[in-house]
Parts: sequence; C-alpha cells; structure tokens
Amino acid sequence: MPEVKIIAKNFMDMVASLPAMKLDKLYDNAFICEAILRSLPPLAKKYVLQMLYIDSPITAKSMEVWVLPDGSSKHRVAIDRLIQLRVFTETVDRRKETTYKINPTFQTNLQKLLTHGEVLPREPMPSNITVRLPSVEELDVYAIGQWECFLLQLISSAQAERPSNISSSMMKVFQRGLLSQRDKEAPRLTDSGFQFLLMDTNAQLWYIIREYISNSEERGVDPADLISFLLELSFHVTGEAYNSNTLTEVQRNTVKDLTDLGLVKLQQGRKESWFIPTKLATNLSVSLTDSSSRKQGFVVVETNFRLYAYSTSKLHCEILRLFSRVEYQLPNLIVGAITKESLYNAFENGITADQANILLQLTPELYSQIISFLQQNAHPRVAERIPTVPENVTDQIRLWESDLNRVEMNPAHYYDEFPSREIFEAACDHAREWNGLLWEDSKRMRLVVKAEIHIHMRDHLRGQKQ
Amino acid sequence: MPSAPTKLYADDVSLLVVLLDTNPFFWSTSSLPFSKFLSHVLSFLNSILLLNQINQIVVIATGCNSCDYIYDSSLSTNPGIENGKLPALCSELLKKLEDFVTRDEQLNKQQSQSLPPTTTSSLLSGSLSMALCYIQRVFRSGPLHPHPRILCVQGSSDGPEQYVAIMNSIFSAQRSMVPIDSCYIGSNNSAFLQQASYITGGVYQKPQQLDGLFQYLSTVFATDLHSRTFLQLPKSVGVDFRASCFCHKKTIDMGYICSVCLSIFCKHHKKCSTCGSVFGQAQTDVASASNLKRKTPES
Repeated sequence: MPEVKIIAKNFMDMVASLPAMKLDKLYDNAFICEAILRSLPPLAKKYVLQMLYIDSPITAKSMEVWVLPDGSSKHRVAIDRLIQLRVFTETVDRRKETTYKINPTFQTNLQKLLTHGEVLPREPMPSNITVRLPSVEELDVYAIGQWECFLLQLISSAQAERPSNISSSMMKVFQRGLLSQRDKEAPRLTDSGFQFLLMDTNAQLWYIIREYISNSEERGVDPADLISFLLELSFHVTGEAYNSNTLTEVQRNTVKDLTDLGLVKLQQGRKESWFIPTKLATNLSVSLTDSSSRKQGFVVVETNFRLYAYSTSKLHCEILRLFSRVEYQLPNLIVGAITKESLYNAFENGITADQANILLQLTPELYSQIISFLQQNAHPRVAERIPTVPENVTDQIRLWESDLNRVEMNPAHYYDEFPSREIFEAACDHAREWNGLLWEDSKRMRLVVKAEIHIHMRDHLRGQKQ
Repeated sequence: MPSAPTKLYADDVSLLVVLLDTNPFFWSTSSLPFSKFLSHVLSFLNSILLLNQINQIVVIATGCNSCDYIYDSSLSTNPGIENGKLPALCSELLKKLEDFVTRDEQLNKQQSQSLPPTTTSSLLSGSLSMALCYIQRVFRSGPLHPHPRILCVQGSSDGPEQYVAIMNSIFSAQRSMVPIDSCYIGSNNSAFLQQASYITGGVYQKPQQLDGLFQYLSTVFATDLHSRTFLQLPKSVGVDFRASCFCHKKTIDMGYICSVCLSIFCKHHKKCSTCGSVFGQAQTDVASASNLKRKTPES
C-alpha cells in the first residue's frame, strides 16, 4: 500500500535529506543560506546569528548555559535541526566533549549578506522594454486564478475550464496519493487528498512543489538544482520583469511548469521574453516559517450549523461540498449546512474498499483540519470574534467523528491448543517482549498477537517443539 | 486605550524600533568612533531583516535638540543595489542621518544665539514618544501585526529636565506591553534607561568592550520576544530609582512630595506648581529625615 503522508512544512526535511555533498554545494548560494536560515526555528536562528563571527568550535556545555531550564527541549530541537541541515557540525573529542562548529561556507555567505546586503542573480528589466506590466492586483488575480484552475484539474480533470499545459503524466504524479481510481470508476479523493484540499494555499503549494522536485530525477533534472532555483526565485521582487535569457535551459522548462501553477507569469515582447514572479513565488520562503494565510476569508458558520460562503470560486464550492450539504448556490454566495450525514461522508471519503479491509483507521487530524479550514477562511466579520466557529459546532463535529472511532481494528493472529501451560506462558512472555500481546485467556490457553510479530512467534514456538 | 494585540504573526516576527544617539557632545568624547559604531549597528539591522522576511525595522535618530525617523524598512521598496556598492538599507539610512545631523546642528546654533547652551544630553523623551506613537499606529492598523519592541542605543548621559516626559513614556510603554531594551555605551550607567528596561521588562546592558558591539547586539538584543522565555539574558544588577525634582530638575535622594498629585520637589514650596494645592508650613527648623518626606496639603 503506497503511503502518502501530508505534512505541510516538510520541504526543508527534503532539503535535509539531500546527500551531504549536495547540501554543502547548495550552501555556495547565498540565497539558499538565507532561505534555510529563515526556515529554522526561532531559537536556532538565534544561535546561528550568535555564532556567526565565532570561528572556534563551541562546546555543547557552554551552549546549554544560554538556555533557561524551561527551554531545554526547544534547545534540543533547535540543535538537532541545525545538525540535520549541516549548518552546524558536531564533533565529539577524546574527552567525550561535544562541540559544535558552524558550516564555514554558510558562515561566510551570511557574513557577506550582513555587510554587503543581498545581490540578486539577475536585474529587473528596464521599463522601456517591458511596455505594459500587469499591476499588483492583476498579478494576484492571475496567480490565484491559475492556481485554482490547477487544483480543479487536479481533483477532477473534467471540471477544469481550460486545460493547463502540464503534461498528463506530470498531473498523474501530482495526483498520486491524492486520488485513487478503481477500474472504470471515476477517481475518488483519498483521505490524504481530502486533507490536502483543506490546507491553506501555501501548504498546498509546498506539497505540489515537493512532488515536483522528488519527481525531477525521472525527468533528468538534478533535484539540488531545482531546489536552488526555486529558493532563488522566492527572493525576486513581485511584479518586476526578469529576462528569460538569464535562465538556463532547465530553468526555462521549470519556469514553464511554474506558470501553470501561477508562480510566474510569462510575457513575450517584440524581441525578448520575460517572466514576472507573482505573490505565490515570493511567498515560498515566507511560508516555510509562517503558515498563517493572510488572505481574505469568506466563510460564516452559524450556531445552527448553517454555513454561508461568500465566494464565486468553483473550487471553494467543491471543497465545501466535501464536508457539508450545499443547499443553494447563488452567483456570489454558497449556502450549506453541516450535517451528520455530510460529515460521515467526509470521514469516510478517503477510504477505498481494499484499504478498509486491511485497517479501518481514520486520520486523527481530520476533525481539526475541517475546523481549522473554517477558522482560517472565516469571513472578516466573524474573524474578529472569539471563537470564530461557534463552540457547539466544533464540539458536535468532534463528537460525530469520535462516533466513528469507537472500534479500532488491528490485523492480528490467534493461537490456541497449546500442548502445555509452560509453552503457553512462554509464548505470552515472548509476545510481551515484542510488545505485541493484544489479548490472552490463560484458562483456556488462547492468545492473540499483532500480525507483525507473527514471524517471531512462529520461530519461537517451533524452537519450543524441538 | 487600545486593546492588547489579539492576533499575531508567527512567534518570532518582530518590529524593532531602534533609537540611535547622535549627540555630538557624546561622540566627540567617546572611545568608539561614530563611524565604527554605525557599521556595527548597520550589520545588526541587516541581521534582523535577515532572520525573517517580514521582520520590520524603524530607526529614529535622537539628536540634541530634535529627533526624527531616519529609516523604515516597510517603506523602502527596492532591495537592490542603488549606487554601485552599498545596499539600500545603508545608503538610505546614511543619507537621512546626514541630513538629520545637519538640521540638528543648525537648531543648536539658533538656540545658542538666544540662550546659552544649557544641556548636553540627548532628547530621549522625544524619540521614545515617537517610537511609541509609531507602535500605536501599527497596533491600530489591523488585527495582524508583528511583536513590537524598542531598543535604545544611548551614549550621552541622562537629562534630568526630561524626567517627567521620559517616565510618562515608560509607563505608556508598560501599558501597551512594549519592552524597552537599552544598550548603554556611555561611561556611567543611565538611571533612566535602567528604569525603562526594568519597568517594561526589557533588557538593560552596558557593553564592557565596545569593539565587540555587534556581538553584544546580536547575542542579547536580536533575541525575539518569543525566544526570551527560553533564554538566559543579562539581568539587571541594581537599578537607580532616584527621581528628579520638578522645580530645578535635579536628581535627588530625598525630597518633598505633593500628596495630591505626587509631584516631587527638592525644597519646600507654599503651593504645588503642578496641581495648585496649598501646603502648610514646613517644619524645616526641626527637620529630621523622616519628617522631610511628609507634607500636608491644606485645601
């Protein structure tokens, strides 16, 4: 069973999982250093800044002195992250003393940034060549439009108003894990896909970008190059035009794909062509640290479980349909109700028949995801109120969800007819050692163990026989 | 009173208002040249902007007779290179700073023609008020705003004549929960800044080695408010709580206090100059230390 986990901010994990050599090479680019620094937890940022001009290694003990007793867990998280990203290198000397040293390339790059400021890899084009650039508002509308069109196409190819240029094989890659298709039926959303739709735009964007990058090797593109280009792109200025001539062949192809996602807008002049980064592109490195979406909300939830969404977007309607019953749809307003049936529908949505056979386990976050979707997209009128979504509604959603969670299924194996009590007891102890004993009945000598330790149990019992 | 911020950005997004001391009387006597000082501070400002894309910096110059905003990172639009070498932050800030210093000097000349120069301290009360006004504007701009804090980088000594204004600023900072950090680079400790940081929950530090000013700034004062709950920061050793009298602006250990409005005087008056209450006869002839503090208004 392919397992796709949806975690919003794991892009940097992907960077961290690059081989050490590639990671060190990435740090040659000052922008990547900057983006990495900004993605770190606050305490880790602080440590980097503090050690920026210290050339000798610092002992772990002296670093612990900086932290109050309450903060030691945060301190560990920060240090682990720094080591994982190879910003800090850890060495243990003969006296078992741990010391940390900042990555020298990273260090010099940041020092340069501090004293000289940042220098973009390419200059914006002068305005006399790029005659008519879109205004910021136009660009925002364009970006959101492209993105929603892409999402609609992603969840159901039939509904997209116009097909984007993303190849169907690429689309398949994105859909992997989000949709499941059984032969000749219309594809259905999996539970990951369901969660994906409820995430905010930045998180969705990162998920797609991540898939895009992890797929890059199949297309013959080095993931490290792609990562560095994307991070670099996020430091360009929104709305300025940049000449496409400055891009390499690979980058030019990437930019074409990014156009379909709404990250950049391509324009063609008389002689030259240029690309204009949109808000989505420049927000890439912000969203690594800040997940709060700062867009206008549109949803009002009332205490009587009714839901009003002031939106013209087809996508919003589709999302709301996932967990509520849409009653009317006016040109600028969607009216729906959250009912028990609609929520059951949502909770069961992702689970295909064959998955259900193996294990029936709902994602625990689904409840909080629906709530946080409602909260994040709250209409400005209700956004100021606390709580944004009425408490009776959130409580009821949780209760409905827990209704479905009363039974937990575990694949298991059942043993009986033990020849003697000793063998039975030994088998119980063995199962306990593997932490897999689910149930035992010592009177009638029966026991149930988790499926994954069956092999060990079998070996154990065979050993006993001989 | 504006309500305390309810909804904020991610934990470590900060708005830092830096008050720079540009007092020529101090810098002419300081062991650290002003140019070196500026390069430390500029690197520090850069590092704050580097830490988070939405961090915001406002710099206010504190002169001898005036103070003014000299940099606001939310207004600067072009992060690219402007005149060949220097990044926008430096060039913009330095240009404004130069203008400011010239203007401040002219003001000084104008004043010294009419009056003999009375003071060599900086106008800290003015810049503190400006910083607080700016922060209030940010608070009212919308539900989403960064965590604000003020950093005073001060060198010149306290001006006792500003006592009331400064204390009022400190209390209003306390009420709007804005910490005032102070980095004092002068020779003696500053009682005003010690009190400001103590009351508002900020950090007061007097760097021992001015050559390493950047390290002090980045280690102590770059800490965002969220991380301060986990980190060991310098604690104040002792705070000078002495007040200045309202009549002669002298710093005093012991004095007379109006029991109606709490104004402080260094010697006995017949009438309170602030609220107009009429005092009784002082028993100065048989004055003992404890009697000195007790005054009875008759009105």
